[in-house]
Amino acid sequence: MSKVLLEAQDLHLSFRGVKALVGVSFSVSEGDLFAVIGPNGAGKTSLLNVLSGLYRPQQGRVVFLGEDLAGQSPQARVRKGLGRTFQNLELFRGMTVLDNVKLGAELAVGGYTDLAPKARLEWKIRRHAEEVLDYLHLSPYRHAPAGALPYGLQKRVEVARALAGRPKLLLLDEPMAGLSLEEKQDLARFLLDARREWGVTLVLVEHDLKAVLELSTGVLVMSYGEVLYQGAPAGVRENPRVAEAYLGRSA
Amino acid sequence: MYRLSQSLTDAFSRRFSRTVREDYRQDEAYASTPQGRFWLVIAIISLLVMPLLLPQYPMFVATQILVAALAGLGLHLLVGGAGQISLGQAAFVGIGAYTSSHLTGDLAPLGILAGGLIAALIGIVLGIPSLRIKGAYLAIATLAFQFLADYIFKRWTDFTGGVAGRKLPAEGTFLGLPLADDRVVFYLGLVFAIPMFFYAKRLLSTRAGRAWFAVRDNDLSAQLSGVDLVRSKLTAFALSAFYGGIAGGILMHLIGAVTPENFVLSFSIQYLAIVIVGGAGTVLGAVLGAFFIVLIPETLSVIAGAFGPQYVAQLSAWRSVAFGVLILLFLILEPRGLVGLWGRIRDYFRTWPLPY
Repeated sequence: MSKVLLEAQDLHLSFRGVKALVGVSFSVSEGDLFAVIGPNGAGKTSLLNVLSGLYRPQQGRVVFLGEDLAGQSPQARVRKGLGRTFQNLELFRGMTVLDNVKLGAELAVGGYTDLAPKARLEWKIRRHAEEVLDYLHLSPYRHAPAGALPYGLQKRVEVARALAGRPKLLLLDEPMAGLSLEEKQDLARFLLDARREWGVTLVLVEHDLKAVLELSTGVLVMSYGEVLYQGAPAGVRENPRVAEAYLGRSA
Repeated sequence: MYRLSQSLTDAFSRRFSRTVREDYRQDEAYASTPQGRFWLVIAIISLLVMPLLLPQYPMFVATQILVAALAGLGLHLLVGGAGQISLGQAAFVGIGAYTSSHLTGDLAPLGILAGGLIAALIGIVLGIPSLRIKGAYLAIATLAFQFLADYIFKRWTDFTGGVAGRKLPAEGTFLGLPLADDRVVFYLGLVFAIPMFFYAKRLLSTRAGRAWFAVRDNDLSAQLSGVDLVRSKLTAFALSAFYGGIAGGILMHLIGAVTPENFVLSFSIQYLAIVIVGGAGTVLGAVLGAFFIVLIPETLSVIAGAFGPQYVAQLSAWRSVAFGVLILLFLILEPRGLVGLWGRIRDYFRTWPLPY
């Protein structure tokens, strides 16, 4: 049994009356490809926002690498190796693809005091960024402004930026939404490769049930903030509560 | 002899004719192509030689451009870099000017530096509202700061000399050279300006610049890429003010006096105009913008002077109008500013006479 990387314990989050998370607990082990699925409004993105520190849960703990993350800022969590991508693209649109990825690469290579540029470290950051660009087949676009690229490529740039930081665990919020089948397959391939080569553990929020069931090693099904199912992907289809949430109860 | 010339040409071509960047290291250098290096060297040499060739008045104008370019460059780091608007740059120029007026003569460089540092400290304070508010609201906050500074310049007579301002002794010297000579001031300015321009360029293309651009484009995502928002914004404000303060110190030596009307709102707008007209995003933009903004009134007054002296007096009233119209025209017609225009001209002639 590999060691537990991320653990959520009894998370509760509500916005006034709306309960976004109700006692959500789960754990992700090193090397997992952990999928979070559920109908719209199930609280999947809220869950990721709690994990990456954008929302503060009213109750419960997030433990990463054996350390309670309570009270830690989003950027502190990122620096600890908890990467994140977004559902709606949050790229730096005016920056080149290369600069986007370099920004991520700083996390892996190590920064320096920003007012005293160090050429040697810049080259290291550049080499590291180029490696990731090459990996994701983005090298030809390195000097293009990120905002000018087609949607599918922008999604890939966002993944590249996050992967360049060599996170120990990467939270991906619907990376495949809006992509063509071909692009989805490419992206899935990249993610699996990254997991194998760099040992990145992945937590994936996804709507594409087929992709999830084929790729993941563990699944968490949510509906209205509650956990319906947690376990192996094979068991998802058989679970009556999941079927009810997705398909409705038979009359 | 043949072998010598052969090896010389080889060395020469290795040194200067490399047009392809062979590795990432070259791609990251200041001027990575031979043409780039060539023009950089030419530019610096001509800056150094210019005062020896030109008479006083053109050097006065040249120093004005230098001052405007420095203050504009500072604002450019803030507005074009970190995406934070400021209408208070003239106030920082003022802070630098008043500070350095207390430490001049042989200590002039120290005075200018002190002006920059004090401006930077106050810049950090001005940056604090930017942690909470953005866009138009931030512009209002900096506007308030501009008026507050103006008020203090006029009322704190012990330090600023009040409305009458402070005058430098006409016989002041720096290392034996008269400070009333605009050429001396120009060199003094260059000592600061050249390293500061290289530094700004370096910053924009390395970690600090990436963090600023990230904050400008998407501050949420910047945070989740490990950028420290507070630090990034405050350093941008501090540096911007520092550049303004240094510019102020040089300006004070150029005019030989310091009075509040040199640091009013219309100058803040003028510095903003330099950023917009020059083109946000590059250091070159600040220089081109400064040329433009300083030379336009000069040219206009020459033209007006040709018609008769009574027109020259009217001209200053129309200056602000001219700037306003210019900013609008550039925002509409060429949002990338003179730098964008220059890029298009260059691209046109690179392939001329072919269309592609």
